[in-house]
Amino acid sequence: MLNQLFVTKALNQVLAGPVDALLRAVHVAPANPAAPINNTFAMELLIFVVLVGYFLAIRTSLSVEKPGAFQHLAELTDEFVDDQSSQIIGHGHERFASFLTALVLFILLSNLLGLVPGFESPTADVVVPLGLAISVFLYYHYHGIRVNGFGYIKQFLGPVWWISWLMLPIEIISHFARVLSLTVRLYANMFAGDLLTLAFFSLIPVGIPLVFLGLHLGVAVIQAYVFFLLACIYLSMAVSHDH
Amino acid sequence: MRKLQYLFMSLAALLIAVPAFGQGSDAAAQWVPLAAGLGMALAAGLCGLGQGKATASATEALARNPGARPGIFIFLILGLAFIESLALFTFVIIFLKVHA
Repeated sequence: MLNQLFVTKALNQVLAGPVDALLRAVHVAPANPAAPINNTFAMELLIFVVLVGYFLAIRTSLSVEKPGAFQHLAELTDEFVDDQSSQIIGHGHERFASFLTALVLFILLSNLLGLVPGFESPTADVVVPLGLAISVFLYYHYHGIRVNGFGYIKQFLGPVWWISWLMLPIEIISHFARVLSLTVRLYANMFAGDLLTLAFFSLIPVGIPLVFLGLHLGVAVIQAYVFFLLACIYLSMAVSHDH
Repeated sequence: MRKLQYLFMSLAALLIAVPAFGQGSDAAAQWVPLAAGLGMALAAGLCGLGQGKATASATEALARNPGARPGIFIFLILGLAFIESLALFTFVIIFLKVHA
């Protein structure tokens, strides 16, 4: 690792030994034993710590009479997630609120972290959006099976039985394509935003690239919203009943 | 007749271009920036057309029926995201191929 960020360097100084031992225990040889933690993972860990701290702060300071600043923020987030998911999923959407809130906050924070000097977006690395997309994939299939039982397979077989041999492969491929498109959309947007700012920075090193940072801010928020919206829609399709 | 004329013209252009196909992989590498730029320009331009149509319809619908704002907003954002992801697929493919 040539350019380690500050947080990565600090993490590597403290944790290089244990992480190396852990990786060797699962038979993975770290590329650079002195610095097994890369920037992406360090940023992810940072966001994880911040989010857990945020949720703990909310949980310990909940009060009906005197709502604090954290509680107002949390109520705002919850209202947004609840409103959107009730609009899309409808009945029984409260069950998914925790997953969706964690998802939208994690993606939003990771996207916005790239705008802070000295940090970078973990979502600009392809593995993080892939992990998020796979977790969404597993989550909505789990809930589809939980709600519909074995009848969940009916969603893959098309409207009439004699076309099912054609619909089943198409549906399976399209469900895997959802993972691909979720991953590439988030990754490419974040990555292209960073690249765009860099490209204009190499042309004009003063002032103008700031405009593209502003554009990147908008893209970061929109992409977090789109990811959340698509997760909602996939969930609503999976848990819908055929009448 | 006009169609045949076009066909022969394009065939002649391809005939002229044959030496370009015949070159080795070293000579092909010089076309990579051109191909990347043209591919991205096509993708971006058509994506812009598509997004323009989507946004135009959404604003028209909003002007006709301002009450339907939330529904239209969700579909607009979704449509824009799907259209944009096609351009982004092109970007990713170009990035992978150029850096390979």
